Amino acid sequence: MNLRYLGNELYYQKRRTLAAVIGLSIGIALLIILNALSMAYRRAAHVPLQEIGADVTVQRPGDVPKDLTGVVFPCSAVTIRDDQVKKIESLPGVRGIGKAVLLWIFDPNRAWIVLGVEQQNSVGPAVLRSAVTDGHFLEPGKPEALVEISYARQFGIKVGDTISMAGASFPVVGLVDASRAAKIAVANVYVPIEEAQKLAAASSQVQSVSPFSPTDVNLLFIKADQEKITNLALELRDIVDKKATIGTPDSFLKLLGSLFALSDKFTMAASLIAILVAVLIAFKTMAGNITERARDIGVLKAVGWINRNVVTQLLAESVVECFMAGILGLLIALVAAYGLSFMKVSFPIPWEMSPTPHFLPGGGDQIFKTLRLPVHVSWTLAAFAILLSVVIGGLTGALLGRNVSKIKPSEVLRHE
Amino acid sequence: MNNGTILTGTGLSKKYGDLEVVKGVSLSIDTSEFVCLVGKSGCGKTTLLSLLSGLERPTAGKVMLDGKDITSASEDELALFRRENVGFIFQSFNLIPTLSAWENVALPLFPIKMSGDERKRRATDLLERMDLGHRMDHLPSALSGGEKQRVAIARALVNNPKIIFADEPIGNLDSATGDAIMEILNRLHTQEGVAILMVTHEVELAKSADRLIRMHDGEVIS
Repeated sequence: MNLRYLGNELYYQKRRTLAAVIGLSIGIALLIILNALSMAYRRAAHVPLQEIGADVTVQRPGDVPKDLTGVVFPCSAVTIRDDQVKKIESLPGVRGIGKAVLLWIFDPNRAWIVLGVEQQNSVGPAVLRSAVTDGHFLEPGKPEALVEISYARQFGIKVGDTISMAGASFPVVGLVDASRAAKIAVANVYVPIEEAQKLAAASSQVQSVSPFSPTDVNLLFIKADQEKITNLALELRDIVDKKATIGTPDSFLKLLGSLFALSDKFTMAASLIAILVAVLIAFKTMAGNITERARDIGVLKAVGWINRNVVTQLLAESVVECFMAGILGLLIALVAAYGLSFMKVSFPIPWEMSPTPHFLPGGGDQIFKTLRLPVHVSWTLAAFAILLSVVIGGLTGALLGRNVSKIKPSEVLRHE
Repeated sequence: MNNGTILTGTGLSKKYGDLEVVKGVSLSIDTSEFVCLVGKSGCGKTTLLSLLSGLERPTAGKVMLDGKDITSASEDELALFRRENVGFIFQSFNLIPTLSAWENVALPLFPIKMSGDERKRRATDLLERMDLGHRMDHLPSALSGGEKQRVAIARALVNNPKIIFADEPIGNLDSATGDAIMEILNRLHTQEGVAILMVTHEVELAKSADRLIRMHDGEVIS
């Protein structure tokens, strides 16, 4: 293989080189973008749950309470027993569990959505710690309350006040900005989980719908090994309830309805088409190249180049062209990825995961988690695309080597 | 100047389907001999040259080039044999359009393991001898017809061949340029002792050759 000849061919045959490089680069760029987009949707689908420090949420639906008075469970989240929680903790792939109790409290003059949280647990609603705007977060062992800032404004609640819910009093130690917090399990008031468990256990409304002991919960947040989430979801249903609501990144993807989000198979099929197009373009260009250069190939053979010399030369040209196409395709994909990263994606948060009574202001509104689509071209994807380009170049060049051996110098060099 | 036979063709025939282009031709060329093969267009001269140089295989007959039977050699063996023993000059020059003059001359040396400097030195020396020292880095598209043919002659000589096959080497050139090219070929023959088999349809050109072979309708007639 002669590098000077290779360089000259690529440089002086600009039209041919550009046609091959641009054609193939489009296929490679498509491949990268399709996969980057698919990965971006998958990454984005983790965000609603990651915001609450979890990978999976578990709830059990139940009956609607007969009367909406006092302390009740939302119908989307009834008792998950302590023994069930312990079983879940021992499942393979579970790395941590956060527990919570979500209550609706209907007092004569006011309705509260109350969430009992584990103050010290990084999995679950305690991640609210970073959303405290005034005062401080709940301290262990104290019956305190945090109030959501817009709710506090609406009802004139300030840090230092004491609020009374279902007959229990809680000093307000801080305000939290829910707009900066997770959209899952949003409440008006946050109290230590033990306080919420006491309120629920003491409620006849709760007990009539779903028997509840002071160690039970009605929301679970699970940190899990990513590759085990799908199997884990099935096992959770076996333990909690076949009808349990299991929130996973995949369930959020399904809510989006996008083709990229819906199916790995779609991305795979589209990627295969992109690769096929790239291969065909490379093959067609190389085949045309050989036809166009039949006379040159005849000269090479006439002056003593053996088939292997000619094939190696053309193979090297093909590999270099395809490598350049890979680089160009990657650059195109990086620009496209940058443009696409401004695209916003809105995940609808199912009402069940953040239940609000419909008759309260904003209760029927759909909540969305909106975020910029995190489109990145990973090093692995970039390296794969470049490697693929080179392999396409190599295969194409090698396949066309057969055509080279069919070229007879005496036929192509015969003067007109 | 004759020290033996460099090329022998015995009973050479070439058929394309039912058409027999070369019919049982036998000839030989001595070392350092300048032989002209003349005849009208389409009489089979170029085909005979292709058979004798190993560019094409005969339907029947045998070619011995520098003592080796090339009719039974494989494609690659033939290519290697040509690289070491044979030079070609074509009517339409057949230079590689993307290579400069010196790179075209060095083309037969590209597959050989040798330093780039040595390759360039050999090519440029030959181009100097062809009075093309000032055109070494020019592409064929920037050269005149005569210059292109001189580059082609330099390419034919770069591997120090024992015999040069020239197929209508001045067919595409004006008479003055053609004369200059013929002068170079004569000089190669007389001063350097290279055997030359030249195909032409112009008998006038054959005057300077040691021997004239006439072809008609695929057969040698004299």
